[in-house]
Amino acid sequence: MVLKIFFPQCCNRADSGLLVGRWISSQDSAVVLAVIHYPFIPGHVKQYIQQVSAEQTSVSAQVCIRDTFSPRLCLSCIVMTFESQKEQEEEEEEKVIFVHYEQRKVMLSQLHPIENGVPDPITAPLSELRQMFQTVANSQPLFFLDRYDDGPLKSTHWQTEGREASIIVELLKQACIPLCMLIGWLLSIWTWICNIRIFSLYPLRFLSSKLSTCVQLSYRTEYMRLLSSPKPAAGHTQFMRKANIVVSFLVDVALGMLLIWWLYRDNHITMLANTLVPAADHVAKELDELLQWLMGAPAGLKMNRALDQVLGRFFLYHIHLWISYIHLMSPFIEGILWYGGLSACLGLTFALSLLSDMVALLTFHIYCFYVYGARLYCLKIYGLSSLWRLFRGKKWNVLRQRVDSCSYDMDQLFIGTLLFTVLLFLLPTTALYYLVFTLLRLLVVLFQGVLHLSVDFINSFPLFAMSLRITRPYRLAEGVKFRVLCEEPGTALHLLMEINPLKCSAVVQTYRTPTYSCYPKDSWAALVKKLFVGELIYPWRHKTTKTD
Amino acid sequence: MTGGDYSIGAEQNPISGRLMGPDSAPGPAVPWRKVLWECQPFPDNYVDQRFLEELRRNEGIRQYRYWAVVKEAGFVGERLSCVAIFITIWLYIEQGLLSPETLLWTSLVCALLGYGLHQALTSQVESGCEPRTRLADLQSATIFLSFTFGFSPVLKTLTESVSTDTVYAMSAFMLLAHLVSFPYAHPSPPGSFSLNAALFASVCLASRLPGALHTFAMLSCALLVFALWPCLLQRLRENAPSQFTGVCVGVCIGGVGGLGSQWPGGAVLLALALWSVTLFCPLLLVRLQRQKDNIHGPWDEAEIHEDLSRL
Repeated sequence: MVLKIFFPQCCNRADSGLLVGRWISSQDSAVVLAVIHYPFIPGHVKQYIQQVSAEQTSVSAQVCIRDTFSPRLCLSCIVMTFESQKEQEEEEEEKVIFVHYEQRKVMLSQLHPIENGVPDPITAPLSELRQMFQTVANSQPLFFLDRYDDGPLKSTHWQTEGREASIIVELLKQACIPLCMLIGWLLSIWTWICNIRIFSLYPLRFLSSKLSTCVQLSYRTEYMRLLSSPKPAAGHTQFMRKANIVVSFLVDVALGMLLIWWLYRDNHITMLANTLVPAADHVAKELDELLQWLMGAPAGLKMNRALDQVLGRFFLYHIHLWISYIHLMSPFIEGILWYGGLSACLGLTFALSLLSDMVALLTFHIYCFYVYGARLYCLKIYGLSSLWRLFRGKKWNVLRQRVDSCSYDMDQLFIGTLLFTVLLFLLPTTALYYLVFTLLRLLVVLFQGVLHLSVDFINSFPLFAMSLRITRPYRLAEGVKFRVLCEEPGTALHLLMEINPLKCSAVVQTYRTPTYSCYPKDSWAALVKKLFVGELIYPWRHKTTKTD
Repeated sequence: MTGGDYSIGAEQNPISGRLMGPDSAPGPAVPWRKVLWECQPFPDNYVDQRFLEELRRNEGIRQYRYWAVVKEAGFVGERLSCVAIFITIWLYIEQGLLSPETLLWTSLVCALLGYGLHQALTSQVESGCEPRTRLADLQSATIFLSFTFGFSPVLKTLTESVSTDTVYAMSAFMLLAHLVSFPYAHPSPPGSFSLNAALFASVCLASRLPGALHTFAMLSCALLVFALWPCLLQRLRENAPSQFTGVCVGVCIGGVGGLGSQWPGGAVLLALALWSVTLFCPLLLVRLQRQKDNIHGPWDEAEIHEDLSRL
């Protein structure tokens, strides 16, 4: 039978008095919370304890005497109390362990993994550590009395020297309410604007779901709504989530302001605008050269000259159209950049989303080429596979989803074979064009993916939790570790309990803000198969949020 | 199992030469019967001297007669010669000795003649399946011709960038596949794979010719030779067997002769192939039939007395 007594370190230097705490019978341990000094009137003590117990049910007083100079007396007292609790018939050798803990740290820390809700004490008993932490955390009312009060009782606990409070925290708490009201009011206006009829037309809705700026806006709106509720956070998780959101938002805006400061000085915008049109021209020229190379005999491949010329001229004409469009737009580019740069005041994520959208718009012609090439190739592959079946005298049975033999007519055989030959010999040409444009498209997709990933990182990284972990590691506890203070045979074992902070990776995993993150839709094998057959690929997929 | 060695466990009585059972002793008074359900005083694997008496040998064997087999094999030879004729025509057109117009007109005339013959032969015999109307035939012909004519410029440029050797190799391979997979027993309707292989080979060859009209002419000729000619031959075989043989021989001679005018080595090879397929292989077949020794059941259970550990 091992008896564990959790003793606060701040009470080591206290005068003699009553130990007040909680007895956890299922674990045979006692958690001492405070010491009430002599002289005291037992009636007052009882009243006080009852008053405190009425608010929190975890405190119960164990009357025992503590003497500064003989800890052994205390020990025997507690043992006697223990014995009076349990009637034991056998005389067992009792082992006692004194665990010294730092009360302030244990009170403020949160044990992980966090259990939400109230677990059923019968079917799912809490672990001892958790019960101990909960006891200390729930004993807030006990710690209101300090040394300088004029009440009838004097007690010693971690707040004896005066209650700790920080001015900044108090000011922030006062400023919260009007701020929340302001945010709520702004949000209601914004939501009203968004819900105007004209914006729910189909093309606009489709566009807004594709543009990443709009997605980012809706995501921010949702989280602002979460912040603007005037109720205080219920529970540790919600508090951390709100804090993370606020800190992420502030960091985002700060980075955005930095970007604006850099962008708008020294005429950077004009420089950017002046390099944009020549860059687009350069890209078009490179594409032109690429197509000319394809129209020749690239890498010694056997291309069909006629088809080659047709496809090459078609794509060249498209590029010509695109360049004319860019030149048409060139006077407005500076203005667009100037106003677009202002969006960074909402945050760096907005600027990055805007950049991603602009890249998508500027490389729209590559996307078009990719779609043409992919569709042509897909058609060809599909036709070839079907005609190959005809070649062997078989047919695809749609009902049974299998290949059956079939007796074809002479006409069907003849025409089928002719078409098969034609498609087979034109395959290398089409495949090459498809390959080239798919590679270009994948490059663009990769670049956009990098932008989205960085936006996602800024959105979801729990900065507040991470900084808490670095500056005050005892707040996020994974467990405890014990250090032996005194181990002599014949006396009780003295251990010091220290809090084991949560690992950084676990911090990120637990407190990560859920976002509309982009993640790859298909596995590698499925992607390669899609590329081979010619299906259009959209490698990134957005997780739909509740507002969609 | 080689013949004559089925006496493992049953020893031959040297005096009477009759087979005796494994015991070599006269059995009890009750005779042994070959039944399954009766409890007899003999062990389960006992067989008396009637061991393997009911064995049948070479049952259902066909007696081939040499000239009948030659006649059937003639069909194979005829197919071979058809392919040779097709290649000859191609060689002629490629070297410019035959103009595409001539070929087109000849093909048309042949097709009409063949169609007339086909119809004449069909009306003689009542065929059970529904007859194709003249309109359906005209429709098919129009589809063929228009499609081929429309596609011939595309087909002409198909193999421009492919090297000559590759084209020849592909065509040879496909023609061989055509010969191998041809349904010699029922040429009408023609088998899908063989017809498609032949058409693929003809497209490959036709795309090597100098003009679009050449391609068109070549393809029409291919259609005639590979798709329509076997149907006519089948009709002929059904209705006039003696004429059929004559036609086969004629085609073979024509093939050898035609090939010989352009490529004498090929003609020799063809003649050799025809001789071996038509005359030599049937001889082998008839000769080897005598060596046939199949045994069919019913079987009896044997008991092995020899010491197998030395094997």
